[in-house]
Amino acid sequence: MPTPTTLAIFCKVVDNYGDIGICWRLARQLEREHGVQVTLWVDDLSSFRRICPGVDVAAAVQHVEGVLVRHWGGQDGAFAPADVADIVIEFFAVDIPPRYVEAMAQREPKPVWLNLEGLTAEEWVEGCHALPSMHPRLPLTKHFYFPGFTPRTGGLLRERGLLAERDRFQADPAAAPAFLTGLGVTPAEQAALKVSLFCYRHAPVAALLDSWQAAPMPVTCLVPEGVATDTVEAFLGGPPNAGAVATRGALTVRVLPFVPQPDYDRLLWACDVNIVRGEDSFVRAQWARRPFVWHIYPQDENLHHKKLRAFLDRYCPDIASLAGFSLRWNGAPGEDNMERLSWAELWTALQADRNALLARGADWEKRMLEIGDLATNLLGFARSLR
Amino acid sequence: MKPAKEIRVGNIIMVDAKPFIVLRSDVNGSSRTGFTYKWKMKNLLTNAPLENVFRGDDKFDVVVLDKKPVTYSYFADPLYVFMDQEYNQYEIEEENLGDALNYLKDGMECEAVFYDGKAISVELPTTIVRQIVYSEPAVKGNTSGNVLKEAKIENAIESKRHTVQVPLFVSQDDMIEIDTRTNEYKRVIRN
Repeated sequence: MPTPTTLAIFCKVVDNYGDIGICWRLARQLEREHGVQVTLWVDDLSSFRRICPGVDVAAAVQHVEGVLVRHWGGQDGAFAPADVADIVIEFFAVDIPPRYVEAMAQREPKPVWLNLEGLTAEEWVEGCHALPSMHPRLPLTKHFYFPGFTPRTGGLLRERGLLAERDRFQADPAAAPAFLTGLGVTPAEQAALKVSLFCYRHAPVAALLDSWQAAPMPVTCLVPEGVATDTVEAFLGGPPNAGAVATRGALTVRVLPFVPQPDYDRLLWACDVNIVRGEDSFVRAQWARRPFVWHIYPQDENLHHKKLRAFLDRYCPDIASLAGFSLRWNGAPGEDNMERLSWAELWTALQADRNALLARGADWEKRMLEIGDLATNLLGFARSLR
Repeated sequence: MKPAKEIRVGNIIMVDAKPFIVLRSDVNGSSRTGFTYKWKMKNLLTNAPLENVFRGDDKFDVVVLDKKPVTYSYFADPLYVFMDQEYNQYEIEEENLGDALNYLKDGMECEAVFYDGKAISVELPTTIVRQIVYSEPAVKGNTSGNVLKEAKIENAIESKRHTVQVPLFVSQDDMIEIDTRTNEYKRVIRN
């Protein structure tokens, strides 16, 4: 069988920047590092443009950084077997257009068809990773592919030069100040404890800002435009547009422009604590090797709490402050001794564990590196099926 | 057509025009797109077993097969023998019984499922009542059901005794109701 050289990713944007964020990173990495010709089908070009300004929201077909981007306008459309890529990825179990699937069944050799699932630390994933899923009516088999935190999963997305670039950035005393100055962050704000804040609407941001206002040490909270807008507007006393800033007590809140992916990485590298959300920024925070708090995508029946606990059990079973803070941030019941603490006390406890969290970040990175990166693992799996 | 989330152990489904019996179904949660169903299946034409995973909304043709009320009669190693009201006996392989094996009991009433004239599996009622044959002592006052412990339930074949998670207040010899679709404890039955 020939080595797969073409690949199609079907991405439907549900979580504004997470879905396309992950698909775009994967597409770019497969193209750049593995020489695969990638077609990225995406239904929402506006969200895509916010993390990748080179995207033309009006174009049905365009090349962006070497990747063929096609606007996925709906489920209609005719496809021939020759239109089908060697590897077809449905991201988060999206429904691929039915006639594309029919064309897949007619193609010889059959494409490798993968359902790339969401990241979770739950144990069951190991039992389902890489298992087949026969099509009920067509002679086609899909395989489920799970990213994850153990060698029995697909690992995490990580570009080849990412960690070296991060190390250079963090080792250069001029790099972070220059980067933050470019975003409008003043030297005085940079001298404070810097926290990046990215979360969903329901996060208890107001309570956290209150505790930072009364904190013994100055805190600079850097929040992208469009995130926690009501609370940020109340704090600022005005529109939360990029560049808006206000200081109350020990806290300065500054609204940043929504930055492209590479700059978001630098922001995470430059901050002392990162509050991240969803899947894409969650993984990037792990590679930043700075203490982070995860705001998880909400699910019915609080299933996301189970997912959060599974991660905390793997990541910090012995660092109660991070577990306690994370559970409270996500509205999940915590241990009794943590439940009684105020936001200020939770934050103080988290800061007291800073060295332990930095060490954990380094250990965790070593463990994740041993698994290999998601794009390389996925491509290796696809080759094994051909 | 039925979505995967409505298909039960013992159902026969058509996959790529071949009949498969679902022998075991593990439901795994927390995917953003819903639950993931991991099935142990067997091809009824070749007897080849396989494991597959499906999304909850993947749709299948379910084959409606002949069914007949039977009672479990005895174990004729390696086959399990069921009998209908006319005293006809039907032998079913252990692996085809799937989770039903967990609840097998002498005289148990269920429905035998036939494919091509041959009994291939049994379907259980949605709920059944079984006695606990072993469990740690009950904890008085705990009625919340949040904390669970293991309990072994009665079974025709002692070596196959099944364990169910029950609340702490449930004790040995209690009769409990179990949901056979999820293999979960539902309630304790006391006079």
